[in-house]
Amino acid sequence: MFRFIVRRLLVTIPTILVVISITWVLIKLAPGNFYSGEKRLPASIEKSIREKYGLDKPWYQQYGKTMWPIISRLDFGTSLRYEGQSVNTIIKRSLPVSAGVGILAYLLALIVGITVGSIAALKQNSRWDYGSMALAMLGISVPNFVLGPILVLIFSLGLYWLPPSRWAGFPSRNLILPVVTLSAIYMAYIARLTRAGMLEVLRSDYIRTARAKGLSERDVLIRHGLRGGLMPVISYTGPALAFLLTGTVVVERIFALPGLGNYFIQASLNRDEPLIIGIVAFIAITLLLMNLLVDIAYAYLDPRVRYN
Amino acid sequence: MSSGKFRQIVGLVLLASLAFSTYSCTVASSKEDFFGTTTPPARNIFRYVSGDEPASLDPAISNGQPEARLYMALYEGLVEYNPKTLAPEPALAERWHINNDSSEFTFHLRNTGRWSNGDPIDANDFVYSFRRALAKETASHNAYLALYLKYSQAFNEQQVFVRDPKTGEFLLARDFEENLPAEAIGGSPIDPAKSEYQPDPNESTPDPDTAFHQQMHTPLRLTLPGDEKSRTKRIEASPKLKAAVAGKEFIRVKAEDIGVEAVDKYTLRISLVQPAPFFLGLLAHQVFRIVPRKVVEQYGDKWTQPEHIVTCGPFKLKTWVPYDRIVLERDPMYWDAKTVKLDELHFYPILDNATVMNLYKVGELDAVYNHAVPNPWLHVLKYKKDYMDQREAAVDYLIMNTTKPPLDNPKVRRAFNLSIDKEAYANWRRIVKPLTAFTPEGTFPDYPQPKGASFNPSEARRLLGEAGYPVIQNSDGSFSCPKFPVEQVEFIYNSQSANRSVAEWMQAQWKQNLGVTVGLRNMEWETFLDARAKLEYKGFARGAFGADYMDPFTFLSVFYTGGDNGTGWEDPKYIAMLDDANRTLDQKKRYELLAKAEAYMLEQQPVIPIDTPSVNWLKKPYVKGMYPNPASLYAWKYIYIERDRAKWDYGTPSLTAE
Repeated sequence: MFRFIVRRLLVTIPTILVVISITWVLIKLAPGNFYSGEKRLPASIEKSIREKYGLDKPWYQQYGKTMWPIISRLDFGTSLRYEGQSVNTIIKRSLPVSAGVGILAYLLALIVGITVGSIAALKQNSRWDYGSMALAMLGISVPNFVLGPILVLIFSLGLYWLPPSRWAGFPSRNLILPVVTLSAIYMAYIARLTRAGMLEVLRSDYIRTARAKGLSERDVLIRHGLRGGLMPVISYTGPALAFLLTGTVVVERIFALPGLGNYFIQASLNRDEPLIIGIVAFIAITLLLMNLLVDIAYAYLDPRVRYN
Repeated sequence: MSSGKFRQIVGLVLLASLAFSTYSCTVASSKEDFFGTTTPPARNIFRYVSGDEPASLDPAISNGQPEARLYMALYEGLVEYNPKTLAPEPALAERWHINNDSSEFTFHLRNTGRWSNGDPIDANDFVYSFRRALAKETASHNAYLALYLKYSQAFNEQQVFVRDPKTGEFLLARDFEENLPAEAIGGSPIDPAKSEYQPDPNESTPDPDTAFHQQMHTPLRLTLPGDEKSRTKRIEASPKLKAAVAGKEFIRVKAEDIGVEAVDKYTLRISLVQPAPFFLGLLAHQVFRIVPRKVVEQYGDKWTQPEHIVTCGPFKLKTWVPYDRIVLERDPMYWDAKTVKLDELHFYPILDNATVMNLYKVGELDAVYNHAVPNPWLHVLKYKKDYMDQREAAVDYLIMNTTKPPLDNPKVRRAFNLSIDKEAYANWRRIVKPLTAFTPEGTFPDYPQPKGASFNPSEARRLLGEAGYPVIQNSDGSFSCPKFPVEQVEFIYNSQSANRSVAEWMQAQWKQNLGVTVGLRNMEWETFLDARAKLEYKGFARGAFGADYMDPFTFLSVFYTGGDNGTGWEDPKYIAMLDDANRTLDQKKRYELLAKAEAYMLEQQPVIPIDTPSVNWLKKPYVKGMYPNPASLYAWKYIYIERDRAKWDYGTPSLTAE
């Protein structure tokens, strides 16, 4: 197991470097630049800006200037658009917002999703099953840029119960709408995954054995049923959590949250090279780590999985 | 039921319910006078959205309007925009006088100016700030507006003077006319006979004449490119120049050479390279606002961070959480602190306009920025009493790539202009005014704006026929133009739903009146800008321009240099006409000459003017002292929260009253 983890971590490093390099190439290939606007800058001003940021140098020098600080001290440089702000600071500052909202949303999704999914599985083909699965389908079908405004329309503009947007720290009433909006689709997926997983497990031999042994129905379901039935949910958790942690563009935009996703989209639109690379690298690292955690969790939960 | 089909049905049901709830919501609110709540905030604070997160709090760096408004709270310059007319009014300069041909400006500073850390402000702060804004290393996006200062362009481009090491004399520009700087801003050299001062009745003693002042009055020196390669190229191109520079030394143009001088502690003198009657109005621009030398030199590009920043405006920075809030508080050190009525000024950077409108409706914002009201909301909001209805100092237009056929033919360009019914367009857009010229309607009251050609489809068809593309009327009354190479033109615009509908509207007009169907293509913003700037498009592109300063020349100068304007159109005659105008000191005559140049440009038709936009924003009725001026720039110190309902604004406040 230990060797497995070390091996996986070692593979992560070249993967990240490749991801960064590809991103760098894509930015260089994209038309446009970080300083242009509706009003065209005079050629001499454009020239001084390009010189200030070293854009007049040959490509390998620019590549080296980007890569070396990253490799030597994990320094992603200074944002081109946000004068004087380092990429590391921007990520450090906006990560807690995205991660906080993301974790809350995922917890909510887990609690509601697993409960609803289990009930649907236990009462298969009942009113409960059809009702909850119809709702889940709704949750999957409605994109969050539709759900968010509907919730705002009802709870903020209609009833004046909750603030329509903006950040107010943890904990605050401002969190309710973004967390619910964000969790809806995950909730729905988890409910469906739980239901499918549970249905499969409940029909399996070891559950029959457990029942035959005379275990109480509660023990059968919680200790044996859920443990097996949740395996699909766990493999889904890795990538889902990685994306939730690193921010979700739409929800952060609708609710004006100062999170990482917001920066990511703005950085891409602004051609803010260091910031794009920094966030891409961060998302890649998170994703790889989450997948590793999921694989480890598998080994603990499923006795059939061994990594040696 | 397949899941795909199920999804479709669910989607439809939801869409219907969404449409219904939006409908019921807007109908419910349409009965009210104002949009949303009208309860003033408990404290004297003003909450505003100025647009995107500012790129920097350094006034020399950014040229965006969201930043410009922020800088008006944090920094001050010699003059400040009048809240209604935007005319320059005294700020850190108490009074000034201007020489006869508007090429030299002397400012008398007030001695009560203070930085937010208590340090006094004097003329040297201006000298430092102007030199810094113009230095190449600063890479200011706005430096081009300051290039009117003598030798500032040469300094900004790190050029060199040519000096004879024996006599110490410099080569003069006038002896090498063909070597004048390639991108001079417009205008002739100063005529020394005319540039005397007019007598100033307030002045008991004339300003001291300094050595620097005398040097500024010597004829313009020749400047050559700073880097060896382009300099050699320039010299090789002119035998006369080559002979003249032999044995001479090249001296780098220094910051100390540019035309700004601290005559004494509270007197600042600015010398320009050309007469510029509009220069005083330009001085309120952010690039001329001052920055604290000590702090900038100590912290470099980190000087604007909250722990270091020192400012000089009516407000100072309290907290700054990027993409969340910028909170400014009243600065007690400000020279006019008694006029400042608000305790705090909050700026929330929010990108999504629907989000902005929601916050405004529930009363978490007191005003929103210009163009914040989304198009589909206008049919309700336009009739609210908190809607700001006023022309903007800006123009919307289409540019054409005049370097590629068929639009290289002015007749074809004119035909496409004549076949757009701009009146109908303006009615459809609800809040814009139709535009036939390139200067906005109603922004410059004394300017005799020329009227461009108006809607005339039959003339358009005739012109297109003359250009070799005859338009045929079909049996059903519609038109077609079979010879027109439609594959060689298209309409590009940046991806935004509003732009799309505008493009479709134009497309329909051309189809209907000329029988030409122009293809549409949307592009991501930076890609669009790139294609436009490099003329890598064929046909038409969306364009817009907002005034940098309150003079028609800010618009007309868009076509002053070729290449930059995205059309490829460049005409020495037009440039000469503008130069003539700017050389004219009589304001009325100057305007007439500018109007003549504009009329000439319209005739050549590198652009199709479309409309003058509206400022299109909202403010709560209890916000007073804030006027919907044409540049959407507000002098924050005059704004206050009125708690007496009787004194509220019911409707757009007038820009002329009082």
